[in-house]
Amino acid sequence: MKDKIEIVAGILIAVAVLTTLYFYLTSVGHIGSGEISVAVIALILVVFAIYVLWDRLKNVQRGLPSKDERLININHKAGYYAFIAAIWSAVGVPMLSDFLFHYELEGSRVGSAVVIISGFVFAISYLYMERKGN
Amino acid sequence: MRTRIKEFRARHNLTQEELANKVGVRRETIVFLEQGKYNPSLKLAHDVAKALNAKIDEIFIFED
Repeated sequence: MKDKIEIVAGILIAVAVLTTLYFYLTSVGHIGSGEISVAVIALILVVFAIYVLWDRLKNVQRGLPSKDERLININHKAGYYAFIAAIWSAVGVPMLSDFLFHYELEGSRVGSAVVIISGFVFAISYLYMERKGN
Repeated sequence: MRTRIKEFRARHNLTQEELANKVGVRRETIVFLEQGKYNPSLKLAHDVAKALNAKIDEIFIFED
């Protein structure tokens, strides 16, 4: 039952993200490369979330648990890598921007970069470890 | 690490999915355990051995 509640909650969150993205894109007026890149990044992360949910649903339908010891370990490891990436990107992104482009990034932009980078690191390391085994 | 899960599973006429169901894990975990690509916790190793009516050291073989 808990597994099903988690899956339904995940689907609702994915739908909420897509709805928010739709309203953002329709209300922004001019759609430039910035808006498109935001939409693409959000879509990639939503597709990853849908893959994870579909994978869990597949197991629940077979009568197997949606997550087990191996998947919990993978989640912990991927979360750890994402945390490390978040810390380093919070320091590195403003520095790189300053060194390479002589442009001081606003705090909100740095925050967005940290969320995006840690999200991608989580997704990539999760998928890699899920395929690799350990 | 090498495992004899596949051999013991064949003896008991169990599919990977049936063993996964008995142990309470996902089928993929059994696949990786059979391939020796996942080091299980002591509890999982115990559960697998119990499901296959064997001792842990008969199923999981650690080589130096």
